[in-house]
Amino acid sequence: MSDEEVLIQSPLLYRLVRDRSGALIIEVVVGGIAMSAVRVRLDARETAAYAREGQAFADRLAQAIMADPPFGGRAVDVP
Amino acid sequence: MKKAVGVALLCALVASGCVSTGATRPPSPPPLVERCDATQARLSVEADQRASPWGIEQHVARNFPGRQVSWLMKDSAYQTFVVQTNAKNFGRCNDTGCYLFAAPSTVIQRAVQESMKDGKHDPAALGKALGLPARNFEGTLRMMTLDLNATGVCVRLPVESDPGVWKCTSPEDTDCFKFGGYTSGGVPEVMVINAPVAQARIEEIP
Repeated sequence: MSDEEVLIQSPLLYRLVRDRSGALIIEVVVGGIAMSAVRVRLDARETAAYAREGQAFADRLAQAIMADPPFGGRAVDVP
Repeated sequence: MKKAVGVALLCALVASGCVSTGATRPPSPPPLVERCDATQARLSVEADQRASPWGIEQHVARNFPGRQVSWLMKDSAYQTFVVQTNAKNFGRCNDTGCYLFAAPSTVIQRAVQESMKDGKHDPAALGKALGLPARNFEGTLRMMTLDLNATGVCVRLPVESDPGVWKCTSPEDTDCFKFGGYTSGGVPEVMVINAPVAQARIEEIP
């Protein structure tokens, strides 16, 4: 059973979850003809932006990760 | 002499179309753009104008035998984003449709088949065949195949504004999207709109 609470499950192929520690993590499907998923832990600024804007911010963050899957070295491959 | 004249006359009639040989050509399928809604048709026409004299018709005719497309997905992502959500269409969906990159089935299936070793695929071999990093292929995969003719889905050249595009930031970049209908690894690709899950053949690749 997952220890994560799913906050958003988007048809844009991402989901936002809150882990047991309360941290927000976004999981995004990246790639074209071969798709996989990466996870990025939201930093304090992003967490605050999500608190303010909700899904609109999560959509933008997911699109930014799709457009640059390494995401500055912050993205971790989902096995 | 009479026989020779008769043969010549028959040949002339066949050539002129007055006499049928029984070998009729199948009618050409309607243009692919006719399958698209207004939004996708506009994008397709614009993409074809950019790629001119190339276009989606020539691209599919030359590179997609039998109009069959395939794509791969890590099983974990497939379970999370297709199975658990009971998705009706593959791809990234917004209010204009669901957007999916796909390659020729022959290319994907051959790459998978040739990567198999002791009943399991080799991520390094698969990555090399498709011009992508091996880590994209680690673990169990799913291979999806869709018949473009049977489904009648909209298909066009991919463009930079499509959801999921990894934009190149410099001319030297290779592992990113470049317009023209080919991946950075040289594999032909198309953008499929609203590819129905129910009509896809889905195979597990251990």
